[in-house]
Amino acid sequence: MVTPEAAEEAVSCSIERLGNVPRPGRLVALKTKDEVRAALETFEAYIVGVSAKFAGAILNVIRESLPDLKTAEFQHLRRVVSFEYLPQHLQTRFGIIRYPESDIRDETDGFTALTRAEIRYLLVSPITAISQSGLIEVLAKKPPFLDASALPAVFTIPVPALAPTSAEQAAQWTRDFWPISYKNTNPYGPHPSLVARNTADIEEGAGTYLALAEAAGEQISELSLGEKVGCVIVDKTGGDEQIIAVTGDCRWQSRNGGPMKKEEPGNVMAHAVQRGIAMVAKKRLRVAGTNPESISSSKVFCDSPLTDHEKHFYSLDNIPPNGYLCSELDIYITHEPCVMCSMAILHSRFRRCVFSRRMPLTGGMTAGVGSVQGDGSTAVVRNVSGLGHGIFWRPSELNWKFLAWEWIDTDRLDTYLEVKDTLQA
Amino acid sequence: MDEEEKVYHERFMREAINMAELALASDETPVGCVFVKDGEIIGRAMNETNRTLNGTRHCEFIALSQILSTHPISILRETDLYVTVEPCVMCASALRQYGIRAVYFGCWNDRFGGTGGVLNIHSDPSVDKPYPVYGGIFREEAIMLLRKFYVQENEKAPKPTQKKTRELKTDILPLDIHSPKS
Repeated sequence: MVTPEAAEEAVSCSIERLGNVPRPGRLVALKTKDEVRAALETFEAYIVGVSAKFAGAILNVIRESLPDLKTAEFQHLRRVVSFEYLPQHLQTRFGIIRYPESDIRDETDGFTALTRAEIRYLLVSPITAISQSGLIEVLAKKPPFLDASALPAVFTIPVPALAPTSAEQAAQWTRDFWPISYKNTNPYGPHPSLVARNTADIEEGAGTYLALAEAAGEQISELSLGEKVGCVIVDKTGGDEQIIAVTGDCRWQSRNGGPMKKEEPGNVMAHAVQRGIAMVAKKRLRVAGTNPESISSSKVFCDSPLTDHEKHFYSLDNIPPNGYLCSELDIYITHEPCVMCSMAILHSRFRRCVFSRRMPLTGGMTAGVGSVQGDGSTAVVRNVSGLGHGIFWRPSELNWKFLAWEWIDTDRLDTYLEVKDTLQA
Repeated sequence: MDEEEKVYHERFMREAINMAELALASDETPVGCVFVKDGEIIGRAMNETNRTLNGTRHCEFIALSQILSTHPISILRETDLYVTVEPCVMCASALRQYGIRAVYFGCWNDRFGGTGGVLNIHSDPSVDKPYPVYGGIFREEAIMLLRKFYVQENEKAPKPTQKKTRELKTDILPLDIHSPKS
């Protein structure tokens, strides 16, 4: 058993000795499946302009006339908004309308010009709740629209159907759609403060681990035993960081140990993530006093270390014997893992996952939304559609969830970590 | 499914149930499977996640490792799987990548099923060929095996919950309740 201090020294020394140069870059938290849905879904709503002093009465008559209206479902939409808080495009659209004022009747048409400060815009309901003519009938029950002496101006606008998941999103939607209230929660994914805290916790080491994962994939690829895909499994629960396992993809290793003919799909169960998880399990058995080789395991799993990197980190007894699967561990992967490996990470109860290159045709982690490329100042949104599984965070359907990030390499070229589009990483 | 076909499939599902019973007796999650090519069983296994401390050692993976230790990978394109519980998302994807011909299963898995129970990994858009699935063969038996397991203590799980007060329920809801979600 190596003491934690000695193990840490061994790890840091060896990373330097191995010529590992951290990748420069930053982490971008993945959007969850529900967040993607929430960001895209809108419904059409009625807006009515009215003098401020009638706003309450109008809302009351709507409540009485539409008893089934579930206002809780659009609590994130402000109900009463003054002109100055409307988004620019609605100010332009609504600004030319004149509004009725019942107690100061204009002699000619019943309208009088209200000052902009006096006007309130009411969000009435989704248009599915009532027809427009029905709504006008309802409004005509009360001043200032009583007896249809002055017809209300009813507009239809699209609004976000679901609550925002961050203050930034609420601000964006307020500019794009309608004033939004944000309650500092995220019903569709991890709370922004949780993501921020964890991003800060791992961002310093992420570039180092991804560079090591890249080297692990290259080492096996040089032996013609696998694709250039690698992963690194890290324990960052204590004050020190322990690298538990480093593995590369091994799909092209044949039964006799040598390279096999590269006919798709190769040995699917020897993907880098599968091998990494298997080596964690074998280390747990070993530190608990069981010889892992006594637990019958097929060579087909390729779960013994092959390269210098793999052997070095496998040899360290730096994992607690009482842990459960891979709970409390983080995994860093060169490529977005395939659906099988994404679910293997979930089954193994990992704590956090970071990957570098997206795999839009095969990846299981992303929920299928455009990714931000480039650094903060020149960020452009590139729409990379994916399979949309978003396996890392689907708590209502799957029995575990974890945080996941995409790594944006600062000096990444499009060819960085390039593999065949259809590769299952 | 005509009577002759039913007898054919039930014969192999019975073998899978036998493996699940072995798992239950070994304190493993009672899921078992057999892989069949040309009417011959070429691999059989039970879940081994507890013994191996590896949450990916589902019976499908164990059986696949047996098959691939003696056969080429391409044999799977002419092979069918019989498994007592619907393959999970992970196994469903592995089977599709390997090119399995068809999957027959007992009960659906509404916690992480990958062939209709939660996701549809067998038929969703993918670079790999989809495969057909047939659920419900000896469904009640598969469910009862799982229930027997869940009233036992799972000592490997963190913070074991007290299960002594749990009762073994024997009523099984009609099929439509457990049918695929989508």
